[in-house]
Amino acid sequence: MGDYVWFHDVSWHATYAIYFFVIGILAGLSFLSYGSWRTPALRPLREKAAYGSLVMLAIGGILLIADLSQPLRFLYVFNPAYLNLSSPLAWGALNIVAFGVCSILYILALRKGDEAKGRLFATVTALLALGLPVYTGYDLTVHQSRPVWNTPIMPVLFVALAITSGSAVGSLLAGANVEAQKVLRQYMLWSAGAVAVILVSIMGTTNYGGSASELTFMIMTTGTMGILFVGVGFLAGSVAPAVMLYAPMGKSQSVLVISALLILAGSAALRYVILMAPQEVQTLY
Amino acid sequence: MSEELRLSPIETRGVAGKKRYAMVVDTRRCIGCMACQVACKAEYDTPLGVNRTWVPYKVVGKYPNVKKHFLPRLCNHCDDPPCVRNCPVEATFKVEDGGFVLQRYERCIGCRSCMAACPYNARFMLPSHRTYTPITNVVDKCTFCFHRVTQNLVPACVQTCIGRSRVFGDLNDPNSEVSYLVARNATQVLRPEEGTKPYVFYIGADRNTTEFGRDAYLRPEVMELERSAFKNHFKI
Repeated sequence: MGDYVWFHDVSWHATYAIYFFVIGILAGLSFLSYGSWRTPALRPLREKAAYGSLVMLAIGGILLIADLSQPLRFLYVFNPAYLNLSSPLAWGALNIVAFGVCSILYILALRKGDEAKGRLFATVTALLALGLPVYTGYDLTVHQSRPVWNTPIMPVLFVALAITSGSAVGSLLAGANVEAQKVLRQYMLWSAGAVAVILVSIMGTTNYGGSASELTFMIMTTGTMGILFVGVGFLAGSVAPAVMLYAPMGKSQSVLVISALLILAGSAALRYVILMAPQEVQTLY
Repeated sequence: MSEELRLSPIETRGVAGKKRYAMVVDTRRCIGCMACQVACKAEYDTPLGVNRTWVPYKVVGKYPNVKKHFLPRLCNHCDDPPCVRNCPVEATFKVEDGGFVLQRYERCIGCRSCMAACPYNARFMLPSHRTYTPITNVVDKCTFCFHRVTQNLVPACVQTCIGRSRVFGDLNDPNSEVSYLVARNATQVLRPEEGTKPYVFYIGADRNTTEFGRDAYLRPEVMELERSAFKNHFKI
């Protein structure tokens, strides 16, 4: 047609999606470790989940810093003279560091067998862990020009995804522990169901939006993105596990393992599409 | 009857003793020579593949009644810039007297949150290798030629515009040409629904160019083919 369209670049690449995925598992594991103080069935997961979340924090931190085009300047975020508290990224960076410090203190308390401090740090760590999916969701929400991102429900979706993926990893770690699996089945079932409901609501809102929303809906539901979002993320990663876990066969070990794997694959795919698709449209403006 | 627009506290327009620079782009006068783009490239040695200003166009109508609609684009130097809000280290900031939205290169960590926040795609990442300057791997954007304007010159793109399509000046000065143009003509800004309060005003802009193009409705795979063909131009 002879039109001259300037194709812009996406701002945030797939590394961010992996980071969101890792942060989600980290938060979910932290919730489980805290939950073990309140629910005796989860007791065997207490140390595993605490160590697992710290490992995930290390991976996530490396990913986040490596994704910066000036990696060594990540320390600027902690310079009070530079810090811009109106940016969700600044809050997120402070939250991550606080989580890391509390997580180490929690593990030290666990190693010493100090019950009182362990319980205290478990609570603080879980609260800080809650801040991580909330900030990542909020990080997307504040971008007013991006359909899908700019929905107030995004932090809620990220918290629900953190619970699903954390419970899925917890279920894989729990192995043949029947009591723990009974609790984890409930966590996975209801959080996967919540994710499915939130996704339907987001897509409904997007489909009824303006031209940018309409285009984003098209991108998210067709082609490769469509397979990842609708196929892997929504159907295989949320609806199928919820149905399988709700069914009478849902208590069997094999169904739990399959559901956990589907949830993990689905939550990774969802994060990728939710991150990339709204940026695709923007590159054409 | 004309009435002044209601202003929010964040706006610098109409504040006594302060300048508020703005650009008016009269698209009826734009001939699509791209001289503004070239002048900007020359002024800043902007690398291949990225631009501080660019001039996309759309061909509309049906042969033989066809017309090209140009829409010169640049940073809108918003009064409520989302890029400034989003930067975690205040690497990007708004100059209160003048309204310039500028970038501190030495502070930018390269998180690209300003790029994600900008509804106008006005920001870009500088490549890791440049010939004449050590400023690399940080986000860059149009500065409204801050260094020229503070020397009582107009921006390079305005200086070079052969059709006088681009006009630059202080909107707080009622005698400036931009004030006259904004007062006397129907103007529009890009994506007003985003609430950014942009300061690049367009006269006669066509909705074929101000809205998402029809190309966006192509299948994603086709769009990707076009995108990769476009990007191939910048491979050296």
